[in-house]
Amino acid sequence: MTSKTMNMVQALNSALDNLMASDDRVILLGEDIGTDGGVFRVTEGLLAKYGPERVLDTPLVEVGIVGMAIGMAVQGLRPIPEIQFQDFIYTAMDQIINQMAKIRFRSGGEYDCPMVLRTPYGAGVKGGLYHSQSGESYFAHTAGLTVVTPSNPYDAKGLLVSSSQGDDPVIFLEPKRLYRALKQEVPEDIYKIPIGKAEVVQSGDDLTIITYGSMVPTVMETVKKNQINAEVLDLRTLVPVDRDAIMHSVQKTGRVVIVHEAPRTGGFGGEISAMITERGIDFLYAPILRVTGPDSPVPYRMEEYYVPNEKRILNAVNKVMESA
Amino acid sequence: MEQQQKKESKQSEKPQYIRAYAAMVLSRTLDKKIVSAQRQGRVGFYTPTMGQEALQVGVSMALEKEDLVYGYYRDVPMMLHRGVPIETIINQIMGNSADTAKGRQMPSHYTSKAFHFMSVQSPVASNLPLAAGAAYALKYRKKKNVVITTFGDGATSTPDFHAGMNLAAVFKLPVVFVCENNGWAISLPVERQTMVEISQKASAYGMPGIKADGMNFIEMYKAARTAIQDARAGKGPTLIDALSYRMGPHSTSDDPSKYRKDEVTEGSEKDPLVIGEKLLTSMDFADDKLLEKIRNEAIKTVDEKFDACEKIPPPDPLTAFQDVYKNMTWMLEEEVKNIL
Repeated sequence: MTSKTMNMVQALNSALDNLMASDDRVILLGEDIGTDGGVFRVTEGLLAKYGPERVLDTPLVEVGIVGMAIGMAVQGLRPIPEIQFQDFIYTAMDQIINQMAKIRFRSGGEYDCPMVLRTPYGAGVKGGLYHSQSGESYFAHTAGLTVVTPSNPYDAKGLLVSSSQGDDPVIFLEPKRLYRALKQEVPEDIYKIPIGKAEVVQSGDDLTIITYGSMVPTVMETVKKNQINAEVLDLRTLVPVDRDAIMHSVQKTGRVVIVHEAPRTGGFGGEISAMITERGIDFLYAPILRVTGPDSPVPYRMEEYYVPNEKRILNAVNKVMESA
Repeated sequence: MEQQQKKESKQSEKPQYIRAYAAMVLSRTLDKKIVSAQRQGRVGFYTPTMGQEALQVGVSMALEKEDLVYGYYRDVPMMLHRGVPIETIINQIMGNSADTAKGRQMPSHYTSKAFHFMSVQSPVASNLPLAAGAAYALKYRKKKNVVITTFGDGATSTPDFHAGMNLAAVFKLPVVFVCENNGWAISLPVERQTMVEISQKASAYGMPGIKADGMNFIEMYKAARTAIQDARAGKGPTLIDALSYRMGPHSTSDDPSKYRKDEVTEGSEKDPLVIGEKLLTSMDFADDKLLEKIRNEAIKTVDEKFDACEKIPPPDPLTAFQDVYKNMTWMLEEEVKNIL
């Protein structure tokens, strides 16, 4: 298999290219994804290669993009719609929650809805409150949806392929801050990374840091720079979350810090924390701590105060290690 | 000679007209049966379709077998005319183990993939963007079929109506939007829903808007046929404003006396079934005897099928947790173990 150095944008583009080449049911639709190649260039070149019947520049209507994609999926296609920024997805929430997530269930399994809804999320590009949100909990709270978020180019491609070739609707959250932050060797051919499997980014003994998406590089930099003997778990899939990987690591270390960018209240970290205490409180030497975005909108100029950073992660690690 | 030909071609229409009338009568009979069963506590809930029979049967007459319907919760007459077994409808109302949706949805939310009837959702108009997507799939596969999507007059105020209409027009898709304009969105009259006639809305999207008499099944059939032929020929979508009247309450939980005086009552001149009978007798397609026979057969069928379906046991509780995903997640497996 030949590989190439790619950033996340290129890796996602390569995944879409492979998927479209191997399956004519795969259709892309969204705002500015055709001629313009997407505002982040994830769909660059695909219109020229696959034509306007498979790469649709749609009118500006999120509820319509998602609804239309659902109709395509129900009739046997494999659409991959793009919502330009996750912050703009909310007008489509009825379609996502009441249609996309429930079609298999409400039709007794007669119909299904295999599609991937891609959208860039998270802060870090100076987008202010309407180009920076991390809304993963809204989706994780809805039965019927699979929620995936990659943290590097290699995973991004493999997870997108698995998402598109699965049987259920997937919310695919792309951490936009990492789109061009990091390059990796990525195979040019198609490959899959399984849904529902976390990755142990680094093994360690003293504590477990559970994170995902945009926060993975921040956590890794902090751990390396400060020589922390931490086991770092990148969840990769939030729903269904990898229970075994989490519990295995917690049993080993007995100390847990959860790091995510989304606001703390109702955030996915609370779910992980509850899950760990429900099944393994006896393993714990210290309370589980969360390092998250605050319960406030993402500010423009003061963004660096919003996003969890080395200092805040280190504080939590030290606190967890101090407990007897 | 010409007269003779005219008469012959008219005669060839007889079987489909009789079949259409029979479907309307069957639907009305079932409607009344379910409402009375609900009053007796044998059925949980129902949204009656009385008054909209001619409209739906007229549309259905213009459809081909492989055409798709993205309908709503009042489309029983259309389903029956399309050939959906009456048991499918009754079993759904009962939510029993023979229901296609396994008793998961409240009554009036039908599914029949075998007859290309997309499962019904409660949020109004949210099937409209789906209809555009489904039509895109047909067009992409170069199929000559069309999508019909139905909705009430209240639905025309929603963002999904706008999205579905605009997308279907922009991509020139084979969709026919049928507004089952029964005059009422629960308690709100259509005059308060919108300041224009619904058919006029079509022009804002660049598609034809037709006003049709939804109380006359033949007029409705003709209007639907034109729109469907256009869609099939690749000319794009049409909006049909099908004027009718919701003769019953919004649902069995609704009391219309709070907000209106019934303008069309059963058996009156405006009743679509009475209009249908007059059409058939004036064309010499039916006499009182035949009409009586059709009515009696409907009563017999409904009574028999209803009683039989009522005896079917409820679904296995496990089915309440299946089909959320293709394979049950570990989280749900764990929860189900605690529940069952």
